[in-house]
Amino acid sequence: MGYLNNSVVTVDAILTDTGRQLLAQNDGLFRITQFALADDEIDYTLYNPNHPSGSAYYGQAIDNMPLLEAFPQSTQVMKYKLTTLPRGTAKMPILDLGYTSIIIKQGAALSITPQTLNYFGGNTFESAGYTATISDVRLFSTFEGVGVNTPSVTALNVANQTTTLGTSVSKTVVGTTINLRATTVNTLFGSNTILQATLTVVGRDSGARLTIPVTVTKVS
Amino acid sequence: MSFNRLDPSDFVVSSDAISSTLFSNNSPSLTSVFTSSVQVASSAGNYYVNVYDTATTESVQFAVAYGNEVGSGSLVFNTAVDGKSPTGTIFGQWQDLVLGDENAKFVFGAISSSEFFALPMERARYKDSLFLGSLSLTLSGSSGSITLTDNSNYVTAVQFCEAGRVFQLITGSTGVRATITNALTADGYSKNSGSYGWLLPDIGTILLNPMALADFRVSGGIELGYSGSFAWGPKVVVSTGSQTPTTSANLSLVTAFSQSMSKLGTIGDFFLNSQETITSDFIFVRPRSSEFNYSENPSFISGSTGEVLYSSFINNPQTYITTVGLYNDNNELLAVAKLSRPLPKDFTKEALIRVKLDF
Repeated sequence: MGYLNNSVVTVDAILTDTGRQLLAQNDGLFRITQFALADDEIDYTLYNPNHPSGSAYYGQAIDNMPLLEAFPQSTQVMKYKLTTLPRGTAKMPILDLGYTSIIIKQGAALSITPQTLNYFGGNTFESAGYTATISDVRLFSTFEGVGVNTPSVTALNVANQTTTLGTSVSKTVVGTTINLRATTVNTLFGSNTILQATLTVVGRDSGARLTIPVTVTKVS
Repeated sequence: MSFNRLDPSDFVVSSDAISSTLFSNNSPSLTSVFTSSVQVASSAGNYYVNVYDTATTESVQFAVAYGNEVGSGSLVFNTAVDGKSPTGTIFGQWQDLVLGDENAKFVFGAISSSEFFALPMERARYKDSLFLGSLSLTLSGSSGSITLTDNSNYVTAVQFCEAGRVFQLITGSTGVRATITNALTADGYSKNSGSYGWLLPDIGTILLNPMALADFRVSGGIELGYSGSFAWGPKVVVSTGSQTPTTSANLSLVTAFSQSMSKLGTIGDFFLNSQETITSDFIFVRPRSSEFNYSENPSFISGSTGEVLYSSFINNPQTYITTVGLYNDNNELLAVAKLSRPLPKDFTKEALIRVKLDF
């Protein structure tokens, strides 16, 4: 990883880990059909609409900033997508999971039904569903997405259940509801009484994203 | 909405040939050669000798294998069956690969030969093919040295064999023919033994003509000593059914490399470049003026209710494009492109970003 030379505008493109995997599978899923844009690394508080030198200088602190090279891990890029919304939008779509953090006991179950607020004038459950990624799936005996029954999503959920990515322990599922059940395996805890991970949920239409901490507490 | 469909006209596929250095560490030439005693002593050593660029023998640069039609130059597999030996196996292997006819001979220039030295380059080194006109190979024998190159600059009609294009090896360097002397033909071949071999760029291989190399100096040779079957040169001593292991023939050629390099010092005397065709997929990403003007970046939002950071962003939002994600129909991120600096985007701007994916 390094910084890109920003004296000229260039585009540095790489395949992601998912792209390489699908290319190796050779099952037709490596087919680019759509694009999205993101503004990872941009801190909009650096934008200064009160700059004394006028509007040409509002973005001065951002315009020439150096950017990092692309990360191949598909979960570490395209974090903050740019979205197309009607002009005059005062509130951005945000996710509401019903929880700001999750603390769950060993063996306990939990269902999360994400909702997107401020999306096209109201609160809505996105029909395309939500992508949920748990950073350490070993903490859960069940981690599944339900509610979206299109063939592609079904295939995606099955593939993510059966595909191993080497030492990676994260898992991604798609659904309108995410079902969790905490593990009953004690050996994972070692001498600890809690295990921690993060749950990242992304709206598949809106691109809205929310990450919350997840804690599993040992029962006995 | 965060995703835009790409139109078929947004894709352009292009292929470009790229040449680069062939040897390890991006070196344009090989300045020293080494063999591995372990590899030479192994059963594979009866067939070929690997050649390395360092004494640590980590990276194979190419291999040397001697092939002989009647199996001379190596121990027979079984003393009850004459002529079946590693050199015969090597000969048949290359005959099948290059000539595609078990009865055909290798014709170097206009001279048929029943033997050859094969120098297959390591696949990772030559990539797709050998770059024509880049070869400059110096070998030393007991009567001096000779520098060989390919005749690709002098042929009007390229010849093809079962292994793709074939070019004759002539005296000269980096594609330029040497001054013709009485020991050479007008084509740069040896006087009596034909060309010095073949360059087979599409399979990354050089075939050397032992007869031409073993010939006397006055006939264009260097009196290269090796264990072959035909009495063309003064150093050829072995007849059919030889009991000399093939390794000795292979090592004699490695010695010829080594001697020539030691004489020329650090200049190096094996120049060769590789070539590969890079197929690029150009994807044109076109965010329109009304698109991608808002962001899910947490710093774009103020507070927990989703309000935009500045009131001016309500009607005149300003975003910055740093990353382009390319997805399949399942919204799986297949490729990602980073811009070298943020690209401003608002309702008055459109952008055209060309993403190049190499395969």
